[in-house]
Amino acid sequence: MTRWMLPAFLAVGVIVTLVLIVGPAVYAVSLSFFDLPSLTSDPVWVGLAKYQAVLASAEFWNALWNGIVYAGLAIVLQVVLGISFALVLHQPFRGRALVRGMAFLPYLLPTVIAVLTFKWMVDGSLGIVTILMDDWGLPPIYWFETEQAAMISVILISVWLWTPFVTTTFLAGLQTVPTQLYEAARVDGAGPVRRFFHVTLPVLRPILTVIVLLRGVWMFNKFDVIWLTTGGGPLGATEHLPILSYRTAFALYDIGTGAAVATISFLFLSLAVFLYFRAFPMEDDA
Amino acid sequence: MKKSSNSPLITRRQTLQGAGILGLGAALSSLGAPALRAQGRKEIRFLNCETGKDTLAFFDRIAKEYQEKTGIEVRIDSVPLGEAFTKITNGIRSGTPYDIANVGFIGHVLILADQGQIVPLNELTDPYEWGNNILFPMDGKVYWYPFDYNLSVIYYRKDLYEQKGLSIPNTWDDFVANCQATIEGRRKGCLFPIGSNGATNWMSVAFMWAEGVKLFDDQWNVTLDAEGMKSKAAAYLDFMERLYPTMPPGAIQADYATVLSNVVGGSVAHGAYAGRVLEAAERDNPQVAENLGIMPYMDSAGNNKAVSHGYDGWVVLKTDNTGPAMEFMRWMTTDRLVDFLHTAPVHFQPARLDIYDNDRWRDNAMIKKYSQQIETMRGMVTDDKMLVTSIDTQGPYPDIRPGKVFEAFVMPEMLQNKLIKGMSSMEAVETAAARMRDLVN
Repeated sequence: MTRWMLPAFLAVGVIVTLVLIVGPAVYAVSLSFFDLPSLTSDPVWVGLAKYQAVLASAEFWNALWNGIVYAGLAIVLQVVLGISFALVLHQPFRGRALVRGMAFLPYLLPTVIAVLTFKWMVDGSLGIVTILMDDWGLPPIYWFETEQAAMISVILISVWLWTPFVTTTFLAGLQTVPTQLYEAARVDGAGPVRRFFHVTLPVLRPILTVIVLLRGVWMFNKFDVIWLTTGGGPLGATEHLPILSYRTAFALYDIGTGAAVATISFLFLSLAVFLYFRAFPMEDDA
Repeated sequence: MKKSSNSPLITRRQTLQGAGILGLGAALSSLGAPALRAQGRKEIRFLNCETGKDTLAFFDRIAKEYQEKTGIEVRIDSVPLGEAFTKITNGIRSGTPYDIANVGFIGHVLILADQGQIVPLNELTDPYEWGNNILFPMDGKVYWYPFDYNLSVIYYRKDLYEQKGLSIPNTWDDFVANCQATIEGRRKGCLFPIGSNGATNWMSVAFMWAEGVKLFDDQWNVTLDAEGMKSKAAAYLDFMERLYPTMPPGAIQADYATVLSNVVGGSVAHGAYAGRVLEAAERDNPQVAENLGIMPYMDSAGNNKAVSHGYDGWVVLKTDNTGPAMEFMRWMTTDRLVDFLHTAPVHFQPARLDIYDNDRWRDNAMIKKYSQQIETMRGMVTDDKMLVTSIDTQGPYPDIRPGKVFEAFVMPEMLQNKLIKGMSSMEAVETAAARMRDLVN
């Protein structure tokens, strides 16, 4: 029985993965070798021409850079703030359970609701932030009016939405650190800062490695926040590879180029993950 | 080496090989296989993109009514307009095509017609008289049934005009002056989007059409930076630079909803939109609703007027169910079109001219109340002096090229280059023209 159950379960997993992940992914890659304006057009084989065009276009490099800036800054802020909040929420205080629950709230919100709410809050005429700042005699903030402001705004929204993930994961890790380690460090005269860097961080390094990896991959591929706030503008300042791929494929009637952008993005991310694991191996052989 | 009795039935290598072959097979088969059509079904599949509450209720109602009348089930799927084309092509590709679909972009009609995926609708459109520039025939064949114009017009506050002693502007200078004069407290002069979005394409570019700018000549050469045209486009950018300070912060990212809420909320004295503004204001801010007037976009010298059309229509796909689908379309567009239009009475500005004189259509509270504005809109689609155009309908005949210019946000980026980057108007026009050439060549 056991002899047959294992392959059976494996087969289910393999089939689901093939149908829902591998098949569509291979199909998407295969599209990048064809010229076709829409999914109903007759595909024309063009080999690597789409890749050549993509790599020669300024839009692609701009989108790649934007993706690195967006993902990089968002991760740094999410990790720093997330760990800070986790350390605070790890301390005993009255109402801690309630605050812990509330801290997780932004992560539960559907992105579309969070983004639209943010947009309405900062609306130049009707937004509550605008009205309050006006009441206090402060000048209006032009949240999306310049290229830099738009990038900062989408990063801030992303940080607000996904910092709770870092907080919760790190907080769960904190609760597994043996208290004896802290006590020993305290006996040795280590203050809170030294205890954090010499006890907490080393113990939680595997968790932190996974957090940074997951958040990095998710942020680099994040589509909805930018699409819903700026659509990639102004002047391409927030257009990253997922937006470029989507726009090229479905708005500019060039499915092949859109697929080539997506494939290059996938390869770039795979390389980044490979290098990341080389730099921060999950298993310490020592 | 002796084989262990615990060796697995399937090795990792075999699993990976099998997965690879299956994945490749699935991918290649879906790429190479022609669209499979469902066989022998009776149900009519209808893709709707008008998602207003009353419109959805209308479709539910007529689907039931049609089934009772003919025994044929009509299944209505509703999606936002932006997703319609992907949904249509996915349906065709997967072998479950829609029989009728709502389309809001003439470029999509062209693609589907070119591929032989939709059928001509002349038998439905020929009996009627239509407004200007709405049928977009291709070789004499009409491939869609347009049901509204969705003209983008300029809304202004009549009460403020009266208070300030302002008259309807005829030139760009007049318009800027009126926008400046109506700024008071938190209320700003106007809101015309300048972001990388469809709202900007629709609401903010018609000043340029009124000025006489054309994007293409009869041979599809880009003319934006041609002699005589370039200075007009640059003048438009200079005009928008003067208008920009009269707008609230956020014009860069203003979308349809932002403009609608600002006009209806009374926080700007001028804004652009179609009839939806009057319906929303009537519901949410009746005081503003009573004081909203409409006017077309004007040029710099007061010689020409223009409006930007947004249009929507239905196409009938070539399926094994085309016959019943055509019959349903015939029934809906003759017996039930007025009921459909009444679900957004002012916003769904009829493309068919006979509707304006239809007693049943006129017998509607909103149409009666806003008859003056509706007459103005009617004049806009019948007056040959009025330019009714849009980015995606520029050029000598319907084509995907202006559609690309629309979707790549070339005009919004021209505005942004001028207003954000501080580029000179001439340079911004040249940059836009170069981008257009990249896209269409």
